[in-house]
Amino acid sequence: MTDIAATPSEFQAHGHDDHHHDADHKPGFFARWFMSTNHKDIGTLYLIFAIFAGIIGGAISGLMRAELAAPGIQYLHGWAELQGGDHLHLWNALITAHGLIMVFFMVMPAMIGGFGNWFVPIMIGAPDMAFPRMNNISFWLLVPAFTMLLGSAFVSGGSGSGSGTGWTVYAPLSTSGSPGPATDMAILSLHLAGASSILGAINFITTIFNMRAPGMTLHKMPLFVWSVLVTAFLLLLSLPVLAAAITMLLTDRNFGTAFFDAAGGGDPVLYQHLFWFFGHPEVYIMILPGFGIVSQIISTFSKKPVFGYLGMAYAMVAIGVVGFVVWAHHMFTTGMSVNTKMYFTAATMVIAVPTGIKIFSWIATMWGGSLSFKTPMMWSLGFIFMFTVGGVTGVLLANGGIDNYMHDTYYVVAHFHYVLSLGAVFSLFAGFYYWFPKMSGKMYNEFLGQLHFWTFFLGVNVLFFPMHFLGLQGMPRRYPDYPDAFAYWNHIASLGYVIMAVSMIFFFVNLIISLAAGRKAGDSPWGEGATTLEWTLSSPPPFHQFETLPKVD
Amino acid sequence: MNILKTAILAFGLMLAPSAAMATPGATAPAAVAANAAAPADAVANAAAPVWPVTPPVAGIGQPVNGAIGIQPQVTKLGEEALWMHDIILMPVMVIISLLVLGLLFWIAARYRAKANPIASKTSHNTAIEVIWTLLPVLILVGIAIPSISLLAKQYKPAPKEAITLKATGNQWNWSYEYPDHGIEFTANMLPEKDEAAPGTAFRTDADGPRLLAADNRIILPVGVPIKLLTTASDVIHSWAMPAFWIKMDAVPGRTNETSFTIEKPGVYFGQCSELCGDKHAYMPIVVEAVSPARFAEWVKFKGGKMPGSEPVAAAVAPAAPAATGATAPVADNAAAPAANATNAATAATGN
Amino acid sequence: MTTPVATDLDRAKRRTALSAAMMVVGMVCLGYASVPLYDMFCKVTGFGGTTQRADASAVPGAVAGKTISIRFDANHRPDLPWEFTPEKHRETITIGARDMAFFRAKNLSDEPVKGIASYNVSPSQAGKYFTKIECFCFTEQTLKPGEEVRMPVIFFVDPAILNDPDANDISEITLSYTFFPVDPEKG
Repeated sequence: MTDIAATPSEFQAHGHDDHHHDADHKPGFFARWFMSTNHKDIGTLYLIFAIFAGIIGGAISGLMRAELAAPGIQYLHGWAELQGGDHLHLWNALITAHGLIMVFFMVMPAMIGGFGNWFVPIMIGAPDMAFPRMNNISFWLLVPAFTMLLGSAFVSGGSGSGSGTGWTVYAPLSTSGSPGPATDMAILSLHLAGASSILGAINFITTIFNMRAPGMTLHKMPLFVWSVLVTAFLLLLSLPVLAAAITMLLTDRNFGTAFFDAAGGGDPVLYQHLFWFFGHPEVYIMILPGFGIVSQIISTFSKKPVFGYLGMAYAMVAIGVVGFVVWAHHMFTTGMSVNTKMYFTAATMVIAVPTGIKIFSWIATMWGGSLSFKTPMMWSLGFIFMFTVGGVTGVLLANGGIDNYMHDTYYVVAHFHYVLSLGAVFSLFAGFYYWFPKMSGKMYNEFLGQLHFWTFFLGVNVLFFPMHFLGLQGMPRRYPDYPDAFAYWNHIASLGYVIMAVSMIFFFVNLIISLAAGRKAGDSPWGEGATTLEWTLSSPPPFHQFETLPKVD
Repeated sequence: MNILKTAILAFGLMLAPSAAMATPGATAPAAVAANAAAPADAVANAAAPVWPVTPPVAGIGQPVNGAIGIQPQVTKLGEEALWMHDIILMPVMVIISLLVLGLLFWIAARYRAKANPIASKTSHNTAIEVIWTLLPVLILVGIAIPSISLLAKQYKPAPKEAITLKATGNQWNWSYEYPDHGIEFTANMLPEKDEAAPGTAFRTDADGPRLLAADNRIILPVGVPIKLLTTASDVIHSWAMPAFWIKMDAVPGRTNETSFTIEKPGVYFGQCSELCGDKHAYMPIVVEAVSPARFAEWVKFKGGKMPGSEPVAAAVAPAAPAATGATAPVADNAAAPAANATNAATAATGN
Repeated sequence: MTTPVATDLDRAKRRTALSAAMMVVGMVCLGYASVPLYDMFCKVTGFGGTTQRADASAVPGAVAGKTISIRFDANHRPDLPWEFTPEKHRETITIGARDMAFFRAKNLSDEPVKGIASYNVSPSQAGKYFTKIECFCFTEQTLKPGEEVRMPVIFFVDPAILNDPDANDISEITLSYTFFPVDPEKG
C-alpha cells in the first residue's frame, strides 16, 4: 500500500461543511436509483443485485446438495413434475444456472460493480467514475441479462425447461444437442452481461488512467485499485472472445453456420479453445479484486503498510498476463499433442510464482504488525488459507499427466470452489464487513460477524473438502446420481451445506439489524491502520465527494 | 433369488479362466462345443449362451465408500502417476498448506495487538522477496521434471502388437469395436431390478455396483498393450477409467488415441466424464481384464477371430456361424441363468 | 470546475475510452479470426491430427525397409442412412511411398442422400506427416438410393516422420473418417 500522508481532517470537511451546499444534495427516489449516475449509488445497486443473485444461486446449490445427499434420485422427480420436464434435464439446468449465476451475476457484479464502483473513484481521489451515465447502463444491462437467464428456466431447453449445457456451453451439446429456446436465451443473457462488463471495464480503465487526484501516481494507488485495473484489462481482452464464441454458437444453432460443427468443416474443440481463452482469465477476473480487498484489509488491521507493494501490484499484472496463455489446461483430455500439453502444464505452473508472492507478502504484512482480529480480518485470514489450499490443488491439476485422472471429477469441483467459493466469496465478505460502516454509516454487529465467519468457515470446509476425496475416488462432476460408494462423503458435503446455509442467516440478521439499528460509524472506524482515501470522508460519504481534489504526497 | 443364483454361478466361473489357462487346447473346443450346442437350447428355451459374468472385487476398479485416496492402479503408467501424486505432489501440497497455516497461527499469536501494541513499519526486504520468488520456482521445477517425463511416457504410441479397441460415445451408451477381431457391441447401463422393464436385463451384484454395471463388458487381455481409439456420434463424451489413469474425450468427427497395458486381471469400472446431456450419469464403462488365452476364447465366443490366427479360425469355422447367431441376443445375461449354468458346467468339464 | 481543465480531461478520457474500445473491437475480430487461424494452424502443424495435402508430384518416394501400419477407421452419424466401412482395416505401407486405400459407402435409404466426411489421424503427432494426394473427403458425396460406391484415398507418409523424436516411434497411424449428412433435415 501507499504511504498516503493524508489525515482525515483534510477531506472530510466536504460532507459536513455547510458552504458545500450541493455535496449532499440527492435527487428523488426514482431519479436516484433508476437513473443514477452516482458511482456510490450504482455500487450499492450492484451489491443489492449480487446479494439477490447470490441468494438464487445459493438456493440452487441447496437443491443440488439436497439431491446429492444420498445415492439414487431423491427429489428431482418431484421438482421436475412441478416444472413439467425430464428430471435429468432439470439437473443439468440446475448446474448450468448455478454456474452462470454465481460467476456472472454474483461474484463479478459484487467485486467489480459493487466494491469497484464504490471505492475505486474514492481511493484515487476522483469525484466519480469517468462516464457516470455509461456506468448506469452497465448496471441496467445486468438486469435484463439476469431476467433472461432466469426466464430461460421456463422455456424448453430440450427434454425439459432450462438450458442444460453446463456453464461452459460446450458445442455440440449446446448446438445440435440442445433444441429449444432456453439455450439461446442463456447465450443472449451472457451477451448482455458481457456487454455490461465490457462497458464497466472501459469505464474503470478511463477513470483510473485519467481521474487520479494530484500526486496519486500509479505506484501510489491502493492495491485494490490496481487489482480492479488489471481485472478491467482482463475483461476487455477476454470477454470479446467469449462474445464472439457464443455468437458463433448462436449462428450455429439458428442460422446454419458450422463454426463448431464437424459436419460443416468446423471443430467442436475450437469452441473450447475460445471459451477457455475467455474462461481462464475469467477466473482471475473473479479473484483479483479479492486480492486487492484482502490487501487493504490485512494492511489496515495490521496497522502496517502492505509489504512489497510493487511486488504485489506487478504480481497481479503477471497473473493477468500469464492467465492469457494457459487456457488449454482446461482441455487436457480433448486429445491434444504431447508438446502442447507439456507447454500448458509448464505455463500453468508459472502462475503459482506470482500467487506465492502474494500469499507470502500478505503474511509479511502481518509480520511485526499489531493485529486486531475484527470480522473483516478474520475473513481475510480465512481467505489466505483457503486460497492456499485451492492454489496447491491447482498446481496439482496443472500437471497434464495427473489431470487425466482428476479431470472432470469432483477434485476439480473442490479445487475451484476453494479458490472461488472460499477464495472469492471470503474476500467479498471481508470487503463487505470492512466497508459496511463506510457505505452505510452504521457499524455491523461484531459478534454476529464473527459468528457468521466461523460457521461459514466450518460449513464450506465441510462442504467442499470431502469433494477432494470424491474426486480422488473418481466421482465425475455434473452427476445427479452416483454409485453408492460415493455416498459417505456426499452426505457429509450436504451437511456442510446446511451449516453454511445457517451461517448465512447470521449474515442477513446482522445486515438487517445493523442497517436498522447499528451503532453510528465514525469516519475511520478501523483506526490508524486504514490509510486509504475513503477513510478520510464521512461515513457514509457525501453524495458528491472530492469537489476539491485531494492532494496526495 | 436371481441375484443369488447368478452370484453363485459367477463365483464358480471365477475359476474358469485359470482352467482355461492351464489347458487351453482342451478348453477351447469345449467352449466352442458349448456355443455350438447353445442354439438348440436357444430355440427351446428362448435363452442364449452367456459369457460368464466375473463379479468384481470390492475396492478394486471401483470406488470405496468413505475412502479418501486414489483408486488402486493396475497399469504401469497409472502406478507411476499415483506415485507422483502420493510421493511428490501430496507432500508439497500438504507442506505448503501447513506452512501457511502455521505462519498464520504464529502471527496471530505473536503479533496480536495485545502482544505487540506497536506495529513495525517494515514494508520492504529485497532478500526475502527474492527468496520467496525463487523458492517456489525451484519447487515447481522439481514438480515439472517428473511431470513432463510422465507426460512423455503417457504419449508413447502403442507398439505394433497392441490390440485396438474403439469406443464410440453415444447419447447415452458406449459402442465398442475390436476392428482386428471383428467384434462390435453396445454397452448400456444395467438398470436396477425394480426399474427394468419386465423381461429385460437388470443388474445383479455380479455385474457390479449400481450405476457402474453395464450389460456388455469390454473384455481385454492383461499384459498386452491396448490402443484405445475414441470418437462420438453426437456430442462430446469422455471415456474414463480411473484404475488405468485413463481419460480420453470422445469428440464427434475426430478420433483420439491413447494406450494402456492392464497388469492385473479384474473388473474395472469407469463413467462418462464429459457432460453429454440428460443421461450423462448413466453410461458406465466396464472393462474386464482376463488372461490372453481367455481373451481369445471370448473373441471366439463373440464370433470374432484373433488376428494372425487363421488356422484356429479355420478349425472353428463350422461352429462360427452358429456362435455368431447365438451372440446376437446374448446381451441379456441376467435373464438367462440357465444358459449360464450350461456354460459353467461345460467349463468345469473342460477342467 | 473551470472549462479548459474539463476539456482537457474530457479529451483524455475520450482518448482512453476509445483505445479501450478499439481493444474490444480488436479482440472480437481476433475471436472470429481464430476460426481461419485455427484451421491454418492445424493444417501447418498437424495439430489435433489434421492431415496434410499435396500434389501427386510431391510423393517423396519409398524409404527402403521403413514401414508403418495404417489403420482405416470409418464412422458415420446415426442420422446418415449409410453403411460406411473401410475395405481393409489395416495395411502396412512403406514410408514415403504412394498408397491407395478404399472405403465403401452404401446408401441404405430410398432417396438420394448427400454426405460429407470429416477426418483426422491419430496419434495426433502423425498429422504433420500424413499427406493426402486425393481423397473423397475433400468434397461432398451424393449417393443415389441403394447405390454403393468405392471411394479412394491416395496418400503417403512423409519420411520426415523418421526424424521427429515425438513421432518416429509410431507403429501405426489411424486414419479416421466420419460421414455427416449434409442436410440434416433429410431422412
